[in-house]
Amino acid sequence: MHFLSSKKLFIGVTLLLGVIAYVVFHKPLEKIDYSSQVKPILNKNCIACHGGVKQKGGFSVLFREDAMANTKSGKPAIIPGSPETSEFIKRITSKDPEERMPYKHTPLSKEDIQILTQWIKEGAQWGQHWAYTEIKSEKIPDYSSSWIKNEVDQFVYQKLKQEHLSPSDEADKSTLMRRVSLDLTGLPPTQLVAKRFLADDSPKAYENLVDDLLASPSYGERWTSLWLDLARYADTKGYEKDGSRNIWKYRDWLIRAFNADKPYNEFIKEQIAGDLMPNPDDAKYIATSFNRNTMTNDEGGTDDEEFRTAAVMDRTNTTWSALMGTTFNCVQCHSHPYDPFKHDEYYKFLSFFNNSRDEDVDIEYPLLRQYNSTDSLKLNTLVDWIKTNASPEEGKKYYTFLKTWQPTINSLQGDKYINGALLGCTAGLRNLGSFRLKNVVLDQKEQLMLRYNARLNTGNVYIYLDSLKGKLIKTVALKSNQTPFWKLQTIDLPAISGTHNLFFKFHNPAIQSLDETGVRFDWFAFGTKFPGKGKPGYDDAMKSFAELMEAPVETIPVMVENNKDQFRTSHVFVRGNRLVEGAVVTPDVPHILNPMPADAPKNRLGMAMWLTDEKNPLVARTMVNRLWEQLFGYGIAETLEDLGSQGIPPTHRALLDYLSWKFMHDYQWSLKKVLKEIVLSATYRQESKVTDGLLKKDPMNKFFARGPRVRLSAEQIRDQSLAVSNVLSSKMYGKSVMPYQPEGIWRSPYSGDVWKKSQGEDQFRRAVYTYWKRTAPYPSMITFDGGAREVCITRRIRTDTPLQALTTLNDSTYLVMARYFASRINEVGGAEVNQQIAKGYELMMYKPISKARLNALMELYNTSYTKFRNDAKASALMAGQLEKPDKPKAASLVMVASAMLNLDEWLNKN
Amino acid sequence: MRDDNQTRRLIKEAEQAMLQQYTRRHFLKDGAMGFGALALGSLLGNCWGNSGSKKLFDAANPLAARPPMFPGKAKSVIYLHMAGAPSQLELFSYKPELAKLDGLDCPPSLLEGKKFAFIRGVPKMLGPQAVFKQRGESGLWLSDNLPHLATVADDIAMLNAVTTEQFNHAPAQLLMHTGSARLGRPSIGSWVTYGMGTENNNLPGFVVLTSGGNNPDAGKSVWGSGFLPSVYQGVQCRSEGDPVLFIKDPKGMDRDLRKASIDAINKVNQEQYSEYNDPETLSRIAQYEMAYKMQISVPDVMNINDEPQYIHEMYGTQPGKTSFANNVLLARKLVEKGVRFVQLFDWGWDTHGDSAGNAVDIGLINKCRKVDRPITALLLDLKQRGLLDETLVVWGTEFGRTPMQENREGKKMPFKGRDHHAAAFNMWMAGGGIKGGTSYGVTDEIGYNIVSGKTEAYDIQATILNQLGFDHEKLTYESQGRNFRLTDLSGKVIKDILA
Repeated sequence: MHFLSSKKLFIGVTLLLGVIAYVVFHKPLEKIDYSSQVKPILNKNCIACHGGVKQKGGFSVLFREDAMANTKSGKPAIIPGSPETSEFIKRITSKDPEERMPYKHTPLSKEDIQILTQWIKEGAQWGQHWAYTEIKSEKIPDYSSSWIKNEVDQFVYQKLKQEHLSPSDEADKSTLMRRVSLDLTGLPPTQLVAKRFLADDSPKAYENLVDDLLASPSYGERWTSLWLDLARYADTKGYEKDGSRNIWKYRDWLIRAFNADKPYNEFIKEQIAGDLMPNPDDAKYIATSFNRNTMTNDEGGTDDEEFRTAAVMDRTNTTWSALMGTTFNCVQCHSHPYDPFKHDEYYKFLSFFNNSRDEDVDIEYPLLRQYNSTDSLKLNTLVDWIKTNASPEEGKKYYTFLKTWQPTINSLQGDKYINGALLGCTAGLRNLGSFRLKNVVLDQKEQLMLRYNARLNTGNVYIYLDSLKGKLIKTVALKSNQTPFWKLQTIDLPAISGTHNLFFKFHNPAIQSLDETGVRFDWFAFGTKFPGKGKPGYDDAMKSFAELMEAPVETIPVMVENNKDQFRTSHVFVRGNRLVEGAVVTPDVPHILNPMPADAPKNRLGMAMWLTDEKNPLVARTMVNRLWEQLFGYGIAETLEDLGSQGIPPTHRALLDYLSWKFMHDYQWSLKKVLKEIVLSATYRQESKVTDGLLKKDPMNKFFARGPRVRLSAEQIRDQSLAVSNVLSSKMYGKSVMPYQPEGIWRSPYSGDVWKKSQGEDQFRRAVYTYWKRTAPYPSMITFDGGAREVCITRRIRTDTPLQALTTLNDSTYLVMARYFASRINEVGGAEVNQQIAKGYELMMYKPISKARLNALMELYNTSYTKFRNDAKASALMAGQLEKPDKPKAASLVMVASAMLNLDEWLNKN
Repeated sequence: MRDDNQTRRLIKEAEQAMLQQYTRRHFLKDGAMGFGALALGSLLGNCWGNSGSKKLFDAANPLAARPPMFPGKAKSVIYLHMAGAPSQLELFSYKPELAKLDGLDCPPSLLEGKKFAFIRGVPKMLGPQAVFKQRGESGLWLSDNLPHLATVADDIAMLNAVTTEQFNHAPAQLLMHTGSARLGRPSIGSWVTYGMGTENNNLPGFVVLTSGGNNPDAGKSVWGSGFLPSVYQGVQCRSEGDPVLFIKDPKGMDRDLRKASIDAINKVNQEQYSEYNDPETLSRIAQYEMAYKMQISVPDVMNINDEPQYIHEMYGTQPGKTSFANNVLLARKLVEKGVRFVQLFDWGWDTHGDSAGNAVDIGLINKCRKVDRPITALLLDLKQRGLLDETLVVWGTEFGRTPMQENREGKKMPFKGRDHHAAAFNMWMAGGGIKGGTSYGVTDEIGYNIVSGKTEAYDIQATILNQLGFDHEKLTYESQGRNFRLTDLSGKVIKDILA
């Protein structure tokens, strides 16, 4: 814990107790370290008034250049090398309460003052906070002990020695096996795997088990559950309406990526910028759905630009919190109060995200259009034809257009409605109604493709240049409203140069009423004519193109970048208010971190290259810390979401850096390899039993003198209970499923969505496939500390509540599992009930049941049996539908099975 | 089940274990600040030190009752939120001048630079669609739509000039309840339970009841715990099905069997504890005991069948139905049992005029009929039980409605309705140390803008926290590197309405 490393507190405590238990090594000759000695004092005492938010008296200690600058008094407060003449020292040592700093707060301790004085004497150098310095290859501490199994242990052992602690023995095989299996695959080991491991006495037995688990397809599902929190994945769009969103293919992409052990740098690069990589295939586009998991607001009357901006900010914040363990969102409104990030740097970084095509439209354009296999072949043929007969660039352009319908201008961009209105995200015009499309770049635009429906059959659309009274540049005769409902129509445009406002006016003399909407526009695409005219096959190619534009497709929201016509300029939002635009900014990364790689473009792809550059100090550390947290219950730095100076400092910084370096270099970003190294360590393999003495010294197991013992996640708890009950479906991938949930959980306004219970084995899929509705998530997930996933969840805080007990006791899902579990142990457990219960325990824990446990459970069985023997109705209700010869016995076994699924040792990894 | 002594012993052990952990941390963290802080009484008592309040949370006993920062007037809060935004111009905001403008085009000055949810082009002004009278000694203006409430006018402190920056339901509801229009912040009930824990260990500290057929527009986030541990989120009690999810034992299981099963579970867990010595196991034992007790206490408190007939008549309750009236009666029962924060949402107040049910002269009156009597009964009932002084009742909504008639898509609407209006609307408070018969804030002659006494969501939140004994600037939780608070960077206690 961080306070243990603070000398000052030790001094305070020891002095106050009057017990000189520690000898504090005071070495005034050793150079003061800024990050570990000075920065904590400044953060605690000074920075609230002299930091990134407030700079009272014109003085700030956040950056050296600010601290050295003239204050309001006209001269600098810190004179490097000269504490005697530094106002800074004068003020913290003053006796005058009006002068003395921190103003109206407890004065600094003598030790703190001494540190600051010596630091100024030594030149007042600012150091970099550890998490922002480049990751270096760490020297492995040299300890020899029979306990040590690999390098991880060397680091842990060193700390244990320093803390006068000793490591624990290795956990017994069954416990360790269950632990590592739940950790790596989210499931208990299968009986086959368990049997093999328990019978294997070779020295490689455990490593073989780990290899098996890492190779299991369940591995990908387990780690995807974690990533879905970070990616704020949900099957709905959020906000008031919270309608469905078809984005589950992204979840499947994750499972495949984890199982294939896609290197983490590629994994991130594709999610941030797959669309900008050369020749992106469907998988690369789907990876970018990572950033389309932001919410879309369909509530009537909402300002789509406001929520587009909210999504862009969310992407910025998520990139920093999920991938870089940094709280960047405070920089939205002002410079970071504690860490060296400046206000405008937020907006520079935000502008990487500010040029994607999505605009909070309800249909969630841009969508990846996935063709069936026949149409995919057709698409390839067409693109090849264009490449051959026009140019490779044209081929690429048409590929993108057919796959994404981009670039197009959404009707959302229309304004100046007369007798018309924006209906949802379509431009609706009534008879003689009109609207404006602003700032359309018409240079080299030969044609316009429109998507619309003429609701009241045909009519004309008149397009005027610059104003309704301007030049009529085109009259479009609309197609009828017969199927397909939405029409695509391409019209030639006269040559016009420059950027213009276009006015669209609708008229249909056959319609008498002025009050009914006659046409709704979806989008507008201005472009050049279909290429390759006169070349052989031109007509067929044109036909293919038209057919592919309207072919049936599956869709998923993805990222697509604006072209230069639609480029958005980014500004600083003054104090975070998007309506008050400050200076124009262009994409860049904060100056304090590694610069962008030389070959990186200043766009999302370049940013992704920067993230995954080995010089980036945060990305590898954040992920390794997170993996550690998943295995041990707490990160090496507890605050996964904040490795900055306000986060809780790491207990084993050298270990974190060692693993992070190895992750990037030796392991080439392989997650499986890092996980393997950690779980093979003696540190991980320790038993989790704890003595009173150790508990007192290290209640939260920060020094790893014992193995991890923490409650399982919501997903693990469900999945393992399904597994032991023998009903877990092994089906992977596909649409999210709706397992049983009580009536009345979904009551969304303005939405006909209903929870439609999935059938057959879909009832019993792993939790990662459960449909996730943001405004009403699956109850047991929430009860066991899942979040709504409205924004990125960087860490689940574990709680222990009676509602959790009620869930595993009474949720019908758990009752059903208990019935299946009871049937199973009845079948395989032998003739006697006590054997059956013992067998059940063995199926759960892979070891024999203790006498006390068996007695307690037998007592429950007997009490139940006494009751059910005389109550046929109650036994039938408890035993359930399954055909059972002896209902009272079956019912009593269900009671026992249910209790077993509620045991502390079952809900925990031990 | 084990006998009571054993149970008590186990819970005590759990508390001891937690206390030890706590002591250790507190000792080391704050030791240098002064030994005095280590006096045992203050350890779990007043821990509002100067080092932030994150340490309030302890996974082993997150809901332990804790005293607030200073003695508050109120012990609990009943917050009645009318989701959809009822028209203040037909209920509380008496604007005779508006009547004179009825049917006239809205002057352009009111429209310039304004954005509306549905109004397009130039709408017509719409005069008040209700008759107003002055009520009680205080002479509070209330419309005939609320005849019952008129009888308790002198218990009410009316806020006439509430304003918000959000004119869409979901973000405006979020702002009102979480202090931010964006998702992810804890709701006010979560903050309160985080700050005070709960007095009744057998009931959740923060209960939510909804009526009107839908959840509020912002969904469960309005009672979510945001970045606070999830244990502080509101527990939605339902009047159909199980009152709390999974509170009922499976069919075929009676209480004796449930007792036997929890007894078996805890015996095994005790065995597990003797092997592993993990204090979390003791905590789990305590939680299972508590779950068992909740199974009795929750259905009991949620059952209104046994209330005397005069109470049913007073509230207009009909047992077995989902209604706002039933929820109001439940709210009284819950605070009586020591629940800290009871949050009601009644959906269906979005009177745009697109249907009769959504007309300010038809649907609104029907909605008022359903809430007027129970709300009045609540104030009277709390008073007769001596609970009004310590129960803060808040009546509110997310925004108000325009003095113009809505003209969706620029067209005339079939019924009289008003669009969303963020700039000025009404809320009121009563009980819990609020001065009845007061009125705060003034709006202009047509209720369009605020003249004085501007009241923001943050001010209301600050006032609620103040009445409970919290300085809203100091009730903080560290998340993502900074201390967050409910009122963000604003908020001032509305002193004018305090007794």
